[in-house]
Amino acid sequence: MGVTILSQFFLDNKTGPQTIEVLSKRIAALGAVQQGHFLVDCETYTSVPQLGHQRTVHVLHNSEQPATVFSLLDNGTKITSLATDGLFDLLMMKMSHFYTSKKQTKVESKGLRYEIGDFCVKLGTVTVSSNCKGILVEVEYRPCVVPAMCWDLMKEFLQGFLGTAAPTNPPAYLQNKMQDIYFPIDTIHQYLDHFTMLRKKLFIS
Amino acid sequence: MQQREEKQLESALDSIIQRVNDLKQSIASMIFKIENEYESITWPTFLDNYALISGQLTSLSKVLSHDKCPVLRNLTVLPLMLSPERDEQLAQMTEHRVTTFAHDLCPDYLRTKLEPMAESKMMQLETKALGLQYDNAQKQIATYQKVISHVWDIVSKAREEWETESSSRGNTQQNSSVADTHLLVAAVGMGKGLKMGPNPNGQSNPTSGGMMVTPQGRPGGPPGQGQMPPTTQAMTMNKAPSAIKTNIKSAAQMHPYGR
Amino acid sequence: MSTPGNAMDSLSAALKCNIIPNQEYLLQGSVLDQYVEVLLHRLRGLCDNVDSGPETFHDHEICFSLRIPNSGATTSMPMSVFSLRVRRAIDVTDTPFQLRYIGQQELGDKNRPTVVRSSIDMACSSSIIEFLNELGCRIDFEYIARGYMFRKGRMKITVSKIFKMGSNKQESVEPISQSYIVELSVLAPSGQDSIGEDMRIFAEQLRPLVQLEKIDYKRLSNMM
Repeated sequence: MGVTILSQFFLDNKTGPQTIEVLSKRIAALGAVQQGHFLVDCETYTSVPQLGHQRTVHVLHNSEQPATVFSLLDNGTKITSLATDGLFDLLMMKMSHFYTSKKQTKVESKGLRYEIGDFCVKLGTVTVSSNCKGILVEVEYRPCVVPAMCWDLMKEFLQGFLGTAAPTNPPAYLQNKMQDIYFPIDTIHQYLDHFTMLRKKLFIS
Repeated sequence: MQQREEKQLESALDSIIQRVNDLKQSIASMIFKIENEYESITWPTFLDNYALISGQLTSLSKVLSHDKCPVLRNLTVLPLMLSPERDEQLAQMTEHRVTTFAHDLCPDYLRTKLEPMAESKMMQLETKALGLQYDNAQKQIATYQKVISHVWDIVSKAREEWETESSSRGNTQQNSSVADTHLLVAAVGMGKGLKMGPNPNGQSNPTSGGMMVTPQGRPGGPPGQGQMPPTTQAMTMNKAPSAIKTNIKSAAQMHPYGR
Repeated sequence: MSTPGNAMDSLSAALKCNIIPNQEYLLQGSVLDQYVEVLLHRLRGLCDNVDSGPETFHDHEICFSLRIPNSGATTSMPMSVFSLRVRRAIDVTDTPFQLRYIGQQELGDKNRPTVVRSSIDMACSSSIIEFLNELGCRIDFEYIARGYMFRKGRMKITVSKIFKMGSNKQESVEPISQSYIVELSVLAPSGQDSIGEDMRIFAEQLRPLVQLEKIDYKRLSNMM
């Protein structure tokens, strides 16, 4: 487990599958080896009105940590995170009187997983109820757990195959915790940020 | 019809043979014990062995008197061939006790009557019994009955004493209390007596607030899972855990096993 | 490596195959303080973990509940309540917290040897308490349990002393009774009723020291 940077990527006049194709060609040219698939999904539950002010629970799964369920609770001002065993999903079903989910809110990013030296790259297609909403590129630098110590290296690596579209600054979520030790939940936070953005995009278009 | 009877006979013989074998084994082991362990054998073990044998005899006679068992008395065993030669198969079957099935041995093994010596002894006893005076016999029976009933009385008295003692002990030695069980189960299950402050519908409990905070220095759950959000870490801890630790120590004194 | 499946799909598949241990079979009883040593001795003889001795635990359990108050006029409607329990070890600092949902207990008829109730049990990170607070849960009650745990096959036997938290944190915690609560439980997928019979037989072996019984919470709340 190391530091992970997640960034959105798009090419003008290209569909999702075409963009993925371009990216996978580029990453293969760098010498990356495909190592299976990956999936990150997110189910969103909202509190029923009787429970007072609205809160949202995002329940995420990451195939990189298959036995764990990550939950992020958003009360409007602050996000509380929780990591549990897989049975948390069952618990959410039991709580359906208090927290309900709408089917359309389910988001997932899935695709191929590549390994190249110390880096692990995942090219994900984000879908909301089987509509492609964008491309997320996840890059993990595995030997390091402190973002500040490897950000420059990762930026350079990202530029290597994303070109000018590569992020020039660390993700907003990481910016004030660059010196902290990186945990899998931090990846989950980044995914949620992007999922929320992409979901909003859905409503605009 | 014939076939059914044959089958019955076969199964009856099987079970008889099995029981006789059991009986033989326990007699052998009893003999072995008497011969080799006569110095160390105790009465209870001896009686146990005896009880085993007598139980096996009972079950054998039960098999013999069972409805399904054909009347063996009506059957004949007819030796078809006698030979003075050594018969290996026979020797094996009889554990090398009988090696030949010859003219001299055959009558002994196939006899259905008692041995001549035993037979004459039985006859003697029977004549003696017949010659006994009625009054004499009655007197003897009465004496025996008196002795037996006396022993019976002693045994049942002892048993009664033993039983009352054990039951009274059971009553006085109360190991658990139903009231405590109910109290504890209600507390753990429904919070009876554990809820603090009279706030059945109120907002979160101010008095218990201290323990809601996660303790300091605990890493965020299992490795590879999320960490504690910085906000909780910042809140850290009041003195609750240390308070608990010291208090538990006093409780530990009544624990049988120290830590 | 095949494509990773959707977590919810695999969960519902697991539910369908009935492999999730979500039923708790339970018997409860108690033993007076002065006889707990005798009971522990007997359990040591009966249970699996003989060599290592009994496992001790010292836990803090908090019961949270999530409620929707009934809306005004319809007072006959029961309030919707959802209870969750969090347990954390006080004596060990590097274990995960435990989150637990316990459903309504079913006593069944006389022939059923144990109480059966649905139970969802999981490890979780220490942020759970804050998470539940933010979720809208509030603390119902809390206690300290300190005692011994034994195993016998699938069965778990706990002998624990229950302490009430002092109203003032600096004050001592106090035991709520002069007895230890004894619980015999198994967590299994539903429908495995044969385990109840094993439990009944095991409970029989602890008599008359402890009477492990099906205890009806509803009757209990009316009685006390």
